[in-house]
Amino acid sequence: MRTKIRRKNELKAWLFLLPALLLAALFWWYPALTGFVQSFLTVNRNGDVTGFAGLSNFRLLFSDKAFLNSLRVTLTFVLLFVPANTFLTLLAASMTRRKNRFSSIPEYVFFAPVAVSLSAYSLLMRELFRGSASVINRLTGLSGGWITTPAGAMATLVILGIFLDFGLDYILLMSAFRSIDRNVVEAARMDGAGGWRLFFHIELPMIKETVMVTVFLALKDALLISAPIIILTEGGPFRSTETVMFYYYIEAFKSGNRAVQNALSALVLTLAAIAMVIYTNTRRKRPWDR
Amino acid sequence: MKKAIIAALLVLFCIASAFAASSAESKGTETVTVWHSAQGAAKDVFEDIARTFNETVGKEKGICIDAIYQGKANDVLTKVNAAMGTGTLADIAMMDATAATDMNHSSALVTIDRLGIDTSDILDCGISSYTSENGLLALPFNASALLYYYNKTIYDAAGVSAPASLDEMAAIAPKTASDCRVAFAGVPATFELSTFIGAQNGLSYMVDNRNGHDGGATKTLFDTEGTYKAFLEKWKKLFDTGVCSAISSGVTAEFTSGRAAAMLASSSNLASVISAVDGRFEVGVARVPVVNGKATGGTVISGGALFAFKDSEAVKTVLEYLVSPEVQAVWSEGTGYVPVSKKAYETESYKAFLEKNPLYKVASDALLDSNPGLANVWVPSAYSIYYSFQANIVDVLNGKDIDTAVKEMAATVNDAIAAYKAQNN
Repeated sequence: MRTKIRRKNELKAWLFLLPALLLAALFWWYPALTGFVQSFLTVNRNGDVTGFAGLSNFRLLFSDKAFLNSLRVTLTFVLLFVPANTFLTLLAASMTRRKNRFSSIPEYVFFAPVAVSLSAYSLLMRELFRGSASVINRLTGLSGGWITTPAGAMATLVILGIFLDFGLDYILLMSAFRSIDRNVVEAARMDGAGGWRLFFHIELPMIKETVMVTVFLALKDALLISAPIIILTEGGPFRSTETVMFYYYIEAFKSGNRAVQNALSALVLTLAAIAMVIYTNTRRKRPWDR
Repeated sequence: MKKAIIAALLVLFCIASAFAASSAESKGTETVTVWHSAQGAAKDVFEDIARTFNETVGKEKGICIDAIYQGKANDVLTKVNAAMGTGTLADIAMMDATAATDMNHSSALVTIDRLGIDTSDILDCGISSYTSENGLLALPFNASALLYYYNKTIYDAAGVSAPASLDEMAAIAPKTASDCRVAFAGVPATFELSTFIGAQNGLSYMVDNRNGHDGGATKTLFDTEGTYKAFLEKWKKLFDTGVCSAISSGVTAEFTSGRAAAMLASSSNLASVISAVDGRFEVGVARVPVVNGKATGGTVISGGALFAFKDSEAVKTVLEYLVSPEVQAVWSEGTGYVPVSKKAYETESYKAFLEKNPLYKVASDALLDSNPGLANVWVPSAYSIYYSFQANIVDVLNGKDIDTAVKEMAATVNDAIAAYKAQNN
């Protein structure tokens, strides 16, 4: 009788999962695996397999200077964006972590960016940072070329990235701060901890997990950034903001270069799989998960 | 349990019906979908033309144009490539030369020859620019030419006129610049280079096989023939004046705001530029300055053409209508595109229009005077090569040795050609 109910429940679970599984199979597993297999084959622009390529697609990818450049650009963006984003969101969340009569004002202000779409932000940024005659320069008295110069374009992209991630990260961090067990904080206070000491030695360590979540979210966003670039800079000027995913977009969708497309997607798939395995293994080893 | 099954079935049904959703066509009239890339002023004009067709010729013959804006010419190509073989492809798509390589090898394309359209009235340079070994791939529609735009108010005050050569351009540059204004803004890419290089020695090609038109390019010529080097030397000299700005985006805004005294842009921008300047200064346009005295080939016809993906009477009728003299005159007057119909130049309305707006005449005169052998460049990975050219030119401006730069650029293009051949042969 019990097994019957269990089987019934299991069937129910599968039924509910079915639509999601179908979608995942259709839009994720099928294309991902096809791309992986095809990365070792020669495929023409119409998608017909015409021969075995061995590793030549990967050789082509790694001999392309534009690809190597895109790796460098992505790394630069990660190194600029992830620390800046983590610092700023943490700063905002820690400054507003105490709930009081006015705390809903900064909460609204900091969370508001989430309500604006990515492309709307990108378009807005493009207008604000348009060049030496930009709105930003007039407001601030600066004279930078912004998106018309390589360094300025990267800076604009980092600012845009922070705006896009800020709201969600802020909410995560702030709720983590507020869900800290009050007893611990009170005990620390009674022991004489206050101000900086309380923050760095008690509160911050207690929300370490959430900070790591926001860091990984930022890392993921930084590694995969492409849509804001398509709108804001088109990879320019002079390929200075051409990240790996934007390079992929150009080669796969603009140039129809199947060799590079499949080789790169196979590479990303493999790296993602390795990262997943490492991540699940380290999680399993953590003492608090036992 | 029953409830759960019903719920699951409902979800499945919703998904299935979303996938199965098909456009129900109304009976009687045949809809011809046109994906276009006309922006700004041109978008309104194009939609007006479609509306006029639907109310006149279309009504008579039971044809309706459904004009859908799909982004820039290159975005249209991306969407055409994506829609290929899915049954959602447009009947006609407006694209430019970057689409030619893909379309030349596409089984979905219906050539203009196969549609049986009479093209005797179309400009010769327009026909040759979209002809490959497979015939006429597309019908020129939104033809344009590269122009030298300059701030005539400033040029007049400085006592200079539009330069005829890059040497002259370098000579007058310091006179037209000021503390808050550069003499020229922009970085040439494939489009500009096809004229700078094409005009050299009477007629030159950047890649072999008539710039890739006859069976696809197999190697670069701009390096071995010294044409790219000749251009780079003059271009470097121009930027060594220190009063030019090598920016690759927002160039038109710099010009219309008066912060750049000159720029290179397609004639198709003329109406938009004039309206953006809004009388703050006088806009002048001239032919593109030549690289040297032997660069007599003129200007390459650029802009776009209409690619057909359906072999039907309705598609043929729509295409014939869009390139008819009257429609081409209207289209040109509203945008700055050059009429592709020879007879359009003789229509009274167009003559009167040119009389009033002499700036619009510069592009068509330049094209009519040019060597019709001049052709835009058909290379694979066109988008990527476009960026490579800009990066390569800026490297030279920043001090890279010209010979090294030419060698690197040729390697980039040759690698792209080789990769394409390896995949598609």
